[in-house]
Amino acid sequence: MSGEQRAPLKGKRILVAKPGLDGHDIGAKVVALALRDAGAEVVYTGLRKSPQHIARVAVDEDVDAVGLSILSGSHRELVAETMASLEALGGGDIRVFVGGTIPPEDQGELLAMGVRRIFTSEMTLARVIAELAQALS
Amino acid sequence: MTPDERRRLARVLSRLADASVSEVLRLPQSGDGHCRRIGVTGPPGAGKSTLISRLARRRLTGEGDLAILVIDPTSPISGGAILGDRIRMEELENEERIYIRSLASRESRDGLADNLPDILAALQSFGFSEVLIETVGAGQVAHAIRALVDTLLLVLHPGAGDQIQAMKSGILELADIYVIAKADQPGAKELVAELRSVRKERSVAGAGWRPPIVLSSHGEDESMQKLAAEIDRHQAWTTVSERWEDARVLWRAQHVESLLSRRVGEVLRALPRDALKQPIDELYRAVLRELADPGAM
Repeated sequence: MSGEQRAPLKGKRILVAKPGLDGHDIGAKVVALALRDAGAEVVYTGLRKSPQHIARVAVDEDVDAVGLSILSGSHRELVAETMASLEALGGGDIRVFVGGTIPPEDQGELLAMGVRRIFTSEMTLARVIAELAQALS
Repeated sequence: MTPDERRRLARVLSRLADASVSEVLRLPQSGDGHCRRIGVTGPPGAGKSTLISRLARRRLTGEGDLAILVIDPTSPISGGAILGDRIRMEELENEERIYIRSLASRESRDGLADNLPDILAALQSFGFSEVLIETVGAGQVAHAIRALVDTLLLVLHPGAGDQIQAMKSGILELADIYVIAKADQPGAKELVAELRSVRKERSVAGAGWRPPIVLSSHGEDESMQKLAAEIDRHQAWTTVSERWEDARVLWRAQHVESLLSRRVGEVLRALPRDALKQPIDELYRAVLRELADPGAM
């Protein structure tokens, strides 16, 4: 097995962030650990962060990607605000991913806003890692 | 700092953290200005991050900006890391004059991170007047931080009483200020007594600086004010000229040592895959080849 297969995210820095008001971060934590096990350096923000704060941390930490975990239903607003804040801080090139409960009918809109991939709770972690590694390579 | 500058700083730090030893050796070096460097070390769970977040605002009194570096361990299995310390620094999140950066320890085995001396130099060149550095939670081994900072804080909590013995010939002898965090918990009084006796043994050795003991329950204002004042007092003590020269020599030695020890890892990884199974003379030749040609000279 090559090192690349064992650590497909080696050398990547990823911010796992929880914007908005929902208070559940077990999913985000599980994903953060899986990213670490895939070789990434993972910055985790903790719960209920504003999009402005998330963008600030993403730029200051010079991450390759931001993963937004959103279960609250207000994904449209939170994604739009995060993208705008990243742009304002010079981090418009940082890739944004969304995970959580995103109804299929909203996914197209998020992708049109510039979100690279949407990961729903039905996906296996292995698939999330594989798709992320592909998107960041 | 403008958003563009801040973005550039973040990228410069990434490049430095990723740089190989020979890349570092060929970096153009900037001037010899000074930025106060304050290290914060102590066992895991002692309350280092929380203490830094409370202390940072107190240290932000003068003109310059403040940087905080937080170091977390890299997994030896995956090479990944969870950088979670800044969660405990969220009260600083709207403070524009504070820049927080998380670093993974990577190849570093001393509680620090790869190329930390060069990262500190870069922060200085970006105009920060002070840097707070949180080491990986450690007690016995992390001596390298001593050489890289002007003032070293050792954070302990009352539950760590039994760790004192293990630290006696170690970080306890090197710290400039002892901070007892969570001092409202049982055992604080005993910890103070133990630290006092450690301090007495130290002063026999003639270090010349008597480390104060600062008690803090939850980083309340009064204790942080006292801690900030003790840091200033130690800074004034350490910048006396001959001590300053000694410290600079130590810093340089540690800088070179950290580069050389990283080079060891680079050489090991660069050996051909089966080199370790070859007869010893073949292995020696492979090592010699690699030492002579770091692949970037």
